Amino acid sequence: MSRLSPQTLRLIALLAVLVLVVAFFSSQIQGYFNARLFNRISSSVAIMALIACAQTLVIVTRNIDLSIGSVVGFTAFAAGLMVAAHPGMNGVVLALYAMGVGAVFGIINGLLVAYARVPSIIVTLATMAIFRSALVEFSGARSITTANLPTWLTDFPNTTLFTVAGLEFRAAFVLAVVVVLVVHLALMRLRPARQLYAVGSNPEAAEMAGINRKLVVFCAFVAAGALAGLAGFMFLARFGNITVVAGLGFELKSVAAAVVGGVNINGGSGSVIGALIGAVLVDVIDSSLVRWELVSEFWREAVLGVLILAAVAVDAILGRRLVAMRIRREREKRQ
Amino acid sequence: MDTPVLSLKDVSKRFGQTVALSGMSLDLNRGEVHAIVGENGAGKSTMIKIMTGVHQPTSGEILIDGTPRVLPGTRAAREAGIAAIFQEPMVFPDLDVAENIFISATDQGLIQKTGELHRRARALIDRIGMTLDVGRIASGLTLAEQQAVEIARALSQDVRVLIMDEPTASLSAHEAGELRRIARQLADEGVAVVYISHRLEEIFEVAHRVTVIRDGSHISTKPIAEVTSDGLIADMVGREVGNFFAKGPSTATPEVILSVKELACGDIFRGISFDLHRGEVLAMAGLIGARRTDVALSLFGIRPATGGTVTFKGAPHAPRDAAEAIAAGIAYVSEDRRKLGLAMPMPIFANITLATLDKVLTRFGLVDRAREHAVAESHRKRLNIRTPDVDAAVGNLSGGNQQKVMLAKWLEMHPDLLIFDEPTRGIDVGAKAEVHDLIREFAAAGGAVIVISSDLPEVLAMGDRILVMREGRQMGILPHDGATQESIMRLATGASSEKAA
Repeated sequence: MSRLSPQTLRLIALLAVLVLVVAFFSSQIQGYFNARLFNRISSSVAIMALIACAQTLVIVTRNIDLSIGSVVGFTAFAAGLMVAAHPGMNGVVLALYAMGVGAVFGIINGLLVAYARVPSIIVTLATMAIFRSALVEFSGARSITTANLPTWLTDFPNTTLFTVAGLEFRAAFVLAVVVVLVVHLALMRLRPARQLYAVGSNPEAAEMAGINRKLVVFCAFVAAGALAGLAGFMFLARFGNITVVAGLGFELKSVAAAVVGGVNINGGSGSVIGALIGAVLVDVIDSSLVRWELVSEFWREAVLGVLILAAVAVDAILGRRLVAMRIRREREKRQ
Repeated sequence: MDTPVLSLKDVSKRFGQTVALSGMSLDLNRGEVHAIVGENGAGKSTMIKIMTGVHQPTSGEILIDGTPRVLPGTRAAREAGIAAIFQEPMVFPDLDVAENIFISATDQGLIQKTGELHRRARALIDRIGMTLDVGRIASGLTLAEQQAVEIARALSQDVRVLIMDEPTASLSAHEAGELRRIARQLADEGVAVVYISHRLEEIFEVAHRVTVIRDGSHISTKPIAEVTSDGLIADMVGREVGNFFAKGPSTATPEVILSVKELACGDIFRGISFDLHRGEVLAMAGLIGARRTDVALSLFGIRPATGGTVTFKGAPHAPRDAAEAIAAGIAYVSEDRRKLGLAMPMPIFANITLATLDKVLTRFGLVDRAREHAVAESHRKRLNIRTPDVDAAVGNLSGGNQQKVMLAKWLEMHPDLLIFDEPTRGIDVGAKAEVHDLIREFAAAGGAVIVISSDLPEVLAMGDRILVMREGRQMGILPHDGATQESIMRLATGASSEKAA
């Protein structure tokens, strides 16, 4: 019996779309397809992958986190302030600090959603604005600039760890991929992670099965906050210049990456590997449009919107087809 | 006799002003199937929720093995060996069968060992005598299979008290028989099985003892050998229900209103032919998967037919959607109240006038609230919908009363043909009789009715004629006189008739 699940099929389809998109832009843009493309995409995907991964954890439980961009911005700023004051501090400690700050925001979201039972779209819509305002207040409208940062930090994302056929695997990208793989393994193989899917799949049944639904949802938000914090750290390292608009619009990108990557917006299914590929696809399109002369770059947001719609529509259609196919196959089997 | 594994002693439960349970006492013994019957609203659900730790009793106590215990949550109840499965099973559609079974298991390490999990899941499924691929995703399992998953889940946790709440309400006769066999088997293995059902005949087949509750109180507990169907019903309703399952006289007229010839729809069903007269009730019987609902949906335009001819009121009838069928005078009352029937959070009056809002508009095109209420109020009286007023949300009504609201909605359209799919699934005996009377009344007034029912006594009580289907084919039409549960079952099961109950 074939064990290719619809999920796996979807990932393969997604990779095919990615290849098509790259092929398309190669035909449109001179000198598009080369090693620099990989280097450019991999740098920005490092951040996107983390927030897509964070968003996936929340969406799987049938919730959504719209505050993710504000959390990235805030943690980037907080980490920048910290390292500016202590230039000699250890990079791992700084990353953990950023994750800790992000987790605090996650705790606030999680408490309100899981224990105060306010719908997550309301909670995180509110905290998106509140966290952003907190950043404005906290920063006193100052900015962090590269000049404030130690060079080891700003060099980190561009450090090439190894090179394969001219493709540079830089530290930030490798770190992000490792994090995604670790989270993926945890989701697939850890038993408590099953509860995440169970809660999103059928909340009432989860309750009846003795799963602590509130705790599960709470943990998802905290983990997402910590991952967003790590993304904030990477954001700081990559751009160096942090203003109050840092991470603006990341909520849309993270949802787009997750949904395009096959994460069911109604919860219960999806993988962070899918979200990673979704992030790559979103990023390739996003950054390629800037270089495509035919279309104004102001259409980038619209393209994201279209991508989300297309992904959900394709999912819905494929889903119906698959169900119909299975019913037919089972009927044939019975005869 | 051993100490009861679970006892309720003088348990009461109040929700605000409402008394859901008062002074309820019950003993459950190892190795027995203990049936509990009572009308909807009698307090069965509240009692289950107290036994499974969802609710806390307002007063009284729960004894496990003779020791008073508090069950602060579902997890505590599970740990005490108490599990419940419901009419609508609680499965996780995105997880596979094995993961579903072991979702609340605590005896495993942090890391999931898929092979080991599947092996243990297979052993449990085998133990209850089912065949099921434990690696498949739960989405798409039949109701019976989902229940098997839930039973296996309970077994995986060394269940000592298994509560089955209306487990067979949505199952075909064969599946229901399997489930009763499993209930008996578990009891033989020493589990105390609580079996709640509206189908009295199956209680006689499965139970050792039967308890009747009414208005939140314990009425009687007797060994099954000492009770009769009439006695149980009398205890449940507090009055004698005279020959409940007897069929009223046929009101069929010679006028054929619907003529179906060789109706077919893809590979779903084919060869359906019958005439329906004004004033006649045609019952459609068959097991789950017989495709009766699909025939109805075809007549109603949801699933347009691909072959055959239908004549309705003398004109060819080939609706392409529900609107066309409704315009032609056909009403279809769905078997799935929740999904396809009612807008649960909306008030009763709004549900009743939902499809006929055009009739209650003012001259300026606004909804005339007063007339809308008057329409709803007249239905409330006529159908005896038990509610203080028609402004209450439909979701707060009992199943039987929801069914009446749904019926009211369709009757308000004054259809010529009423197709009623599982009219009394999951509703209590009293409301059942009322719904049957309403259907009869509609027929007597010149309407034609098709009743689809998996409940054989109901088929016999309603049908002037009985059309039996099996796997998309018409197996025969039986006149009411001479039809028995056995003769219907023989047609419905085809060759494998010896396996049917």
